[in-house]
Amino acid sequence: MHSFKLISTFIKINIQMAVAYRADTVVNILLNLMWLGWELLTLSIIFSNTQTISGWGFGELIALLGVFRLINTMMVALIWPNTEKFNQSIRDGSMDYTILQPVNSMFLVTFSRITIWRIWDLILAIVLITVGINISGDLVTPLSIAHFILLAFSGVVIIYSLWIVLIALTFWFTKFDNNVTILHALIDAGRYPSTVYPIWLQIIVTFLIPIAVATTVPLQALRGDLEGWRIIMFFAIGIASFIVASQVWKRGLKQYSGASS
Amino acid sequence: MSSESIIVEQLSKTYQVPEREGGFGAAVRGFFKRKYKDVKAVQEVNFKIEQGEIVGFLGPNGAGKTTTLKMLSGLLHPTGGTANVLGFTPWELKPDYLRSMTLVMGQRNRLAWDIPAADSYLLAQAIYRLSDDDYKKTYKELDELLELEPLMKKPVRNLSLGERMKVEIAAGLLHRPKVLFLDEPTIGLDISGQVKIREFLREYNKRTGATILLTSHYMADVTALCERIIIIHHGQLKYDGGIANLSRRIAPFKLIGVRLALSEDEGLGDSNGRDLSKYGDPVQNEEDAEKVYVRVKAEDVTKVTSRMLSELPIHDITIADPPIEDVIERAFNE
Amino acid sequence: MFNIFKRLWQVNWAEQWQYRANLAMYILYWLVSPIIYLSVWTSIATANGDVNGLTANDFITYYMILLIVDQLTSNIIIHIFGYKVQDGSLSGELIKPIHPMLTNTLVNDIAFKTLNMMLLIPIWIGLTLLFKPQFDSVSLGGIALAIPAIALGYAINFLLSGIITSLAFWTTRVYSIHEFYYALIMLFAGQFVPLQLMPAVIQNIARVLPFQLFMYLPIQIIQGNLSAQEITQGYVTGILWFIAALIGFRIVWRRGVKQYSAVGA
Repeated sequence: MHSFKLISTFIKINIQMAVAYRADTVVNILLNLMWLGWELLTLSIIFSNTQTISGWGFGELIALLGVFRLINTMMVALIWPNTEKFNQSIRDGSMDYTILQPVNSMFLVTFSRITIWRIWDLILAIVLITVGINISGDLVTPLSIAHFILLAFSGVVIIYSLWIVLIALTFWFTKFDNNVTILHALIDAGRYPSTVYPIWLQIIVTFLIPIAVATTVPLQALRGDLEGWRIIMFFAIGIASFIVASQVWKRGLKQYSGASS
Repeated sequence: MSSESIIVEQLSKTYQVPEREGGFGAAVRGFFKRKYKDVKAVQEVNFKIEQGEIVGFLGPNGAGKTTTLKMLSGLLHPTGGTANVLGFTPWELKPDYLRSMTLVMGQRNRLAWDIPAADSYLLAQAIYRLSDDDYKKTYKELDELLELEPLMKKPVRNLSLGERMKVEIAAGLLHRPKVLFLDEPTIGLDISGQVKIREFLREYNKRTGATILLTSHYMADVTALCERIIIIHHGQLKYDGGIANLSRRIAPFKLIGVRLALSEDEGLGDSNGRDLSKYGDPVQNEEDAEKVYVRVKAEDVTKVTSRMLSELPIHDITIADPPIEDVIERAFNE
Repeated sequence: MFNIFKRLWQVNWAEQWQYRANLAMYILYWLVSPIIYLSVWTSIATANGDVNGLTANDFITYYMILLIVDQLTSNIIIHIFGYKVQDGSLSGELIKPIHPMLTNTLVNDIAFKTLNMMLLIPIWIGLTLLFKPQFDSVSLGGIALAIPAIALGYAINFLLSGIITSLAFWTTRVYSIHEFYYALIMLFAGQFVPLQLMPAVIQNIARVLPFQLFMYLPIQIIQGNLSAQEITQGYVTGILWFIAALIGFRIVWRRGVKQYSAVGA
């Protein structure tokens, strides 16, 4: 309950900020629409030249774009702004205040900045997924929807956990303010099914920076392409990665306070 | 229950600082095998502070003041010794402990820069789980003492330094902490700003009975607020006692700074190189190279000044208290 | 004049060398999208035999060359220069008797580029081992013919970016404007796809715009895919745009500096 109250306070504050910089917000919405147009244009160019791309049709890639935007929304609305704030707070020392608040610091670091207007991206993502599935003619059952939601959720958790680990590294290597570049760089690989990539890149986006697990995999579940044990495995990976990330964060805080070693 | 709110025993902190040589080769070697050097920031410090006391915590830069405050607030783990604040061990960071103390650092911002302080206060209310009634009551009191209301609606970045310090301090007090750790709360403020913060702290202490441990660069902060002073130097406790006793130990002195009007062909300004040692101890001052400074016993100030005025072509003369570091350096380094 | 550039080079090279640790991250960031598009198109071409006559190897060589050409024609002046107007540090440069953008920023950008290339080339060789391109159609003559086009592409891109960066004299939103400019490059320079696969409308627009000199035109010249007439056309368009960009930059810069000193930042 308390967490909800805190998040709603954070949202309130961030609305204030969005209002204070409303012209920027409008410009950003326009740019966002421009990129959506760009993404749809690239898909239509691809499919004016081919029927399928490694077994995926036009509708399925639209749906994949929707799933990608789901992850991307988390990135843009939470992760990038909070990374910026986090790195700033390590540089200027205001991290000290964050640690001394009687609330879980990982929670505070995650939610203190929220790019509010990006929430509409979520709606857009759901529209893209629905429209895409419709175009593709794939058979969708309530069970496969449930699988999709489960795996999309664990995909989000896996990427989030990776982020926590990456920023927690700053506690050990204080000058590491490039901490999220690798995530930033590879996120775009989620726009296309991971099977189009050469094998070494597939390994990277599945195991190292598991962006494919958050985009391609849930959509495979929605199409009914995924065996039951895989679904359970990916979900288990989601939970495990969150546990690992929380532990790394705790260790990081200990390192910061000099309790380790 | 004992009336002591802070008990510190044998508290020590040793940092391991990686030793780095310059150059690429050294950097590569350092990556695999680092050499560390021990830096003893705080060494076996003991003291007790009663509930409701205001204690000045003094020492030159790098003496270990901030390290001690960070350990007492819970940010840093000590390498030895114990501390007990309000019955808690600070570095366990128990939420109940965090709700009953505050740390305010003059050089660090707690409030979000781009939004009005009022919004950050609402966040603090949520974080500390304060009921609306409690929050309003505390805010009203703080507003009375600090005149916050006119500052609440402006984005923090538009406030002056003094105004910002007021809202920063108040932000740290919204949850009515019983113990306040203040690290340089008046740094950078002009005299009237310093006075306002000082008066506020005295009044706040009187009203709430909160324990205050503060560090400051300004001797005036300490003399105005604290009856008791703890001095730390090179990580070691050097003095713990009344301020009156301290002044007996430290011979009071002042700094006289003069800028000489030299003869026309020499031009004005460069007073360096003039030997003023017959008036007092010459002092180096890097901030103001155009002036020469001499250190003079407080009781001799009038005498020396009038002698200088009659004997030297004085363009400008100032008399000031020496910086606190200087006082301590002289008292405890000899 | 030569002396000034020599001195500027020494200073800026030393400065960029300081930031070399960040460079690996920058290169990584910058490699990803060409590799994604390379993979997408190669997988389509492999599955279908070819895409409108382009084989998998055509796509691989196209994007491999693009990695080098894009690096050579792009610039980072918005990052070097954009903030200087806002934080006032430009004032110090304006009173010096050299043009801040066309000397210091230019040299800084070239220093950055040189350092990038030092890192990029080994990575590029590594990638050729992974993707195994066959550069059969590439000739020394083609490369020689493309070099002036790359230089022209760099110059036009620099001036146009310079115009956008100069807008910082009036607005704080240069980064958004630059994002829009970047989208135009993505669309018309042939980054996402070789332009001949674009819809005819876009191809026709792209032919009269300067962006194809940033990637598509030099790549196609290197690959030996263009007729003498097409190359001439590309160069003429490029030179006209260079002149226009130079004039445009001079006007915007002069007005901007006037605006800046009037406001007295």
